[in-house]
Amino acid sequence: MKRMGKAWLAAIIVCLTIVAAACSQDEETATGEKDDKVTLTIGSWRTEDTEGYKKVIEAFEKKNPEINVEFKPSKNTEYNTILNTALKSGEGPDIIHLRPYAPGIALADGGYLEPLDGVGGLDTFTDEALSASKGSDGKQYGVPINMSTTQVFYNKKIFKELKLEEPKTWDEFIEVNEKLKDGGYVPLALGTKEGWLLSLAHGIFGPAVYGGEDFVAKIQKGEKNFTSKEFVQSIKAMDDLKEYFPENYEGVGMEDMRTMFFTEKAAMFPLGSWEIEVVRGMNPDLDFGYFPMPQQNGGEPAVTAWVDGSYAVNANSKHKEEAKKFVEFMTTEEFGELFTNEFKMISAIPGITSEDELVNSLGKAITESSTPYMMVIHFAEGNPTTKATFETELQGMYLGDQSPEEVAKKVQESAKSWYKPFQ
Amino acid sequence: MKATIWTRPFYYVIAFLFASISLYPIVLMVLSSFKPSAEIFMNPLSWPEQFSLDTYRTLLERIPFMTYFYNSVFTSVVSVLLIVITTSLAAFYIARYTFWWNNLLFFFFLMGMMIPIKLGIVPLFLLMKDLGLTNSLWSLIFMYTAQGIPLSILILTGFFRTMPIELEEAARIDGASDLRILWNVLLPIMRPALATVIIINFIQAWNDFFFPLIFISDEMKKTIPVGMLSLFGEYSADWGSLFAGLTLSSLPMIVLFFIASKQFMEGMTAGAVK
Amino acid sequence: MEDSSPANSRPSHLWAIHRLSPFGGTDIQFFDWEGIKQGAFIGLGNYRDLFTLEPFRGMFWNAFGHNILYFVIQMIVQNGIAFMLALILYQKIRGMEFFKIAYFLPRLLSVIVVGFLWKLILNPNYGALNILLGKFGLESLQKAWLGDPDTALIAIILVNCWFGIGFAVLIFLAGLQAIPHELIEAARLDGARGLTLIRKIMLPLMVPSLMIMTVLTFIQSFEAFELVYAMQGSQGEPYRSTDTLAVYFYRLAFGGGSGDSTAVGLGSALAVVLFIFIASITAVLLKLINKKQIDL
Repeated sequence: MKRMGKAWLAAIIVCLTIVAAACSQDEETATGEKDDKVTLTIGSWRTEDTEGYKKVIEAFEKKNPEINVEFKPSKNTEYNTILNTALKSGEGPDIIHLRPYAPGIALADGGYLEPLDGVGGLDTFTDEALSASKGSDGKQYGVPINMSTTQVFYNKKIFKELKLEEPKTWDEFIEVNEKLKDGGYVPLALGTKEGWLLSLAHGIFGPAVYGGEDFVAKIQKGEKNFTSKEFVQSIKAMDDLKEYFPENYEGVGMEDMRTMFFTEKAAMFPLGSWEIEVVRGMNPDLDFGYFPMPQQNGGEPAVTAWVDGSYAVNANSKHKEEAKKFVEFMTTEEFGELFTNEFKMISAIPGITSEDELVNSLGKAITESSTPYMMVIHFAEGNPTTKATFETELQGMYLGDQSPEEVAKKVQESAKSWYKPFQ
Repeated sequence: MKATIWTRPFYYVIAFLFASISLYPIVLMVLSSFKPSAEIFMNPLSWPEQFSLDTYRTLLERIPFMTYFYNSVFTSVVSVLLIVITTSLAAFYIARYTFWWNNLLFFFFLMGMMIPIKLGIVPLFLLMKDLGLTNSLWSLIFMYTAQGIPLSILILTGFFRTMPIELEEAARIDGASDLRILWNVLLPIMRPALATVIIINFIQAWNDFFFPLIFISDEMKKTIPVGMLSLFGEYSADWGSLFAGLTLSSLPMIVLFFIASKQFMEGMTAGAVK
Repeated sequence: MEDSSPANSRPSHLWAIHRLSPFGGTDIQFFDWEGIKQGAFIGLGNYRDLFTLEPFRGMFWNAFGHNILYFVIQMIVQNGIAFMLALILYQKIRGMEFFKIAYFLPRLLSVIVVGFLWKLILNPNYGALNILLGKFGLESLQKAWLGDPDTALIAIILVNCWFGIGFAVLIFLAGLQAIPHELIEAARLDGARGLTLIRKIMLPLMVPSLMIMTVLTFIQSFEAFELVYAMQGSQGEPYRSTDTLAVYFYRLAFGGGSGDSTAVGLGSALAVVLFIFIASITAVLLKLINKKQIDL
């Protein structure tokens, strides 16, 4: 019978030691922070950039020795959940990597961000770049970091082998697809399993059919809408392209597409500029280039572009001044160059050139011949967002459940519920 | 109980069939972790051409695995201890004392299982912040304890109810107190149920990634699943390393299970047949 | 604690009640939310919208149907097979320890790992399942399992069965072993064999373990989230064919992947509806089973 008492005692002692151990551990870290330096944290969804940011931060800390910066990314798909929870509780990182356009602006309008009044260097950026993080009150809340483009990447070796040229017209583009198919390659590495890839692909192929910026301008004025002939045509064109998709395309996702491309099973890869870094990492010998999408109506071929991310300052940060210093650093050429070379992405700062030729040339294409990514820039609102609705409905079309007209109708309904020019 | 001669092989076939289905994906994971990425795509089903530990080496160099491991062990062990202590007492009470409200009490505990806990994440975050527990493993321990109680109560109450009451009565005549009856008479027979509760809660605490994702941002306080999540971003295309990461993150749990399983499973058979 | 964030501006004496009650924080259901910003108090408006306004209404019933399917398949496949395996193991066949461990091993993996592994196995072009089918000359059965709306949800549910079967086996086995040996022997002497023995003697005496598994399966099916999320993301892809109520809730409350808009009020309303539904059905289930137990 005494055994019982001892066992309880033992259990309690074990608990207490563990508690004590944990507490002492907490104290250690608490005292560790007690130096004069201010520590800033950066929240981001770019877990893959952790190594690169170390260099960026080093450059900043050299100039500002009194500030410590920590880059703390979380996984892409959970970033918003984590960030929103923290922000609503008055917490969160000091410097926030902001999603472009509507979702980022929603944070600004909710009062969670600090306006960047008095931050120098903002005038380096174009108005379009700044518009991705401009609050509804007209104040600037974010420093744009990078531009992204979407276009068709292609495998130069395969093109040479089949004696193919970069297409200059839509018909040539279809012809290239046919020849690749005959040559035994997957012409277009594109699958319909993940919806976001569909609106992204429409961002590439769509403008070529509906006529790029002119059409977007008319949409903004309410003169055209999604049931207009041009837009329906662009969906139909997307539908027709499925002939050139890989086998079992309804089950093919992002990873599979990329794999097909870098293992040289697929010749063309319609995706974003950020993939350059990944593909080069996977197969450094792959010889690939890109072509801007040729237009159906004979206009200039264009890449699709938008601002992909901005950095903002948390309104609840305890170190706003220091945080502002950091975002100000992000407007400098020094940062721009570090950024573009480290991450092989296109800096939002005009005139920054990269060591990567492909990145450089895409950066140039943005200023010379680009068309806006309409769904991200203008239609990432509503609930579910018009963009998300478009993705789901396109998926339904590829699964044979509905026609392009029906897709257009549902997208229009979604947009009508909140988009002022349509009301 | 004995099966007849001709049904026995049939039993084995079924048992083996399902065992191989259960084990195949796990074997696949471990094998793939020794392959370079290209081989995973080319020959997903084959034995690795050579066992290379490179993937593990690179991985261990890049992530503080031992720190994650310590955090996971600490969090899981303390949560399970708290759960077992609280729920064995509560379930005993619910199962053995009949008051008009003990069914209600039972159901109240069960409700904890039915609330979509993610709904409460903002208030919970505020609570942890006010208690000074953000970025502390204790925030996780409290969450897992609270989350584990309903299921444990359900299992333990169910088993307490099947216990023959005569056992206790005999002890009671000898003058034993309630606690003593629980500890000396019932809990030893309850070993299978306790084992189930311990395993289930340990797994739950070990594998959860949602709460650490929200509550923990300090790299040194992360648990294995969260540490592993970041691998998906960083090595999204380097599948060899990814598999190594997945294997490493599952391995401690599997090893612990093997160490403990003999004890648990024995308890399960020995305790129950009597 | 003295900060002025919106969520903290309520009277402080309500703090404990608010934070510590099981419904802490659910008052958001009564507000109109514009993204992350709290709007006006709109009473039951969110509930009305949830059930009358498209596309919310359609998504609700779509997801609800999927949850029912989840429950039915799990009951039949997972619990059915587990019961059979438990009966086999109960015969004390050689290697019983090995089998118990083998069935239980999947349960040790994190859902993230499970989702990732099965996504690979089910991959249409280099996944093990399709390759295996090809080897047996069954090319016609090869499919994009997770891309086809007809098979995607079922595939996920079956993976969930794979994941949960070991636990069910252990529960059933413990239940079987709790049956007093004399009862079974007595029945055998009376000539009861095979199915009759199972039906007449074992099943009634296994009510506690059957009850535990039914209730657990019900709750799990209606809260199915992690595996669906790990395998198909928060949009219920493809084409909403794998949407469940909990995934739908997550989408409303936290937005989809890359910063989609949220509808926190609607999400909370959905969570409350889900909770009330699960709680009441569970209460009925428990009551039914309790009665049955007493009848015996």
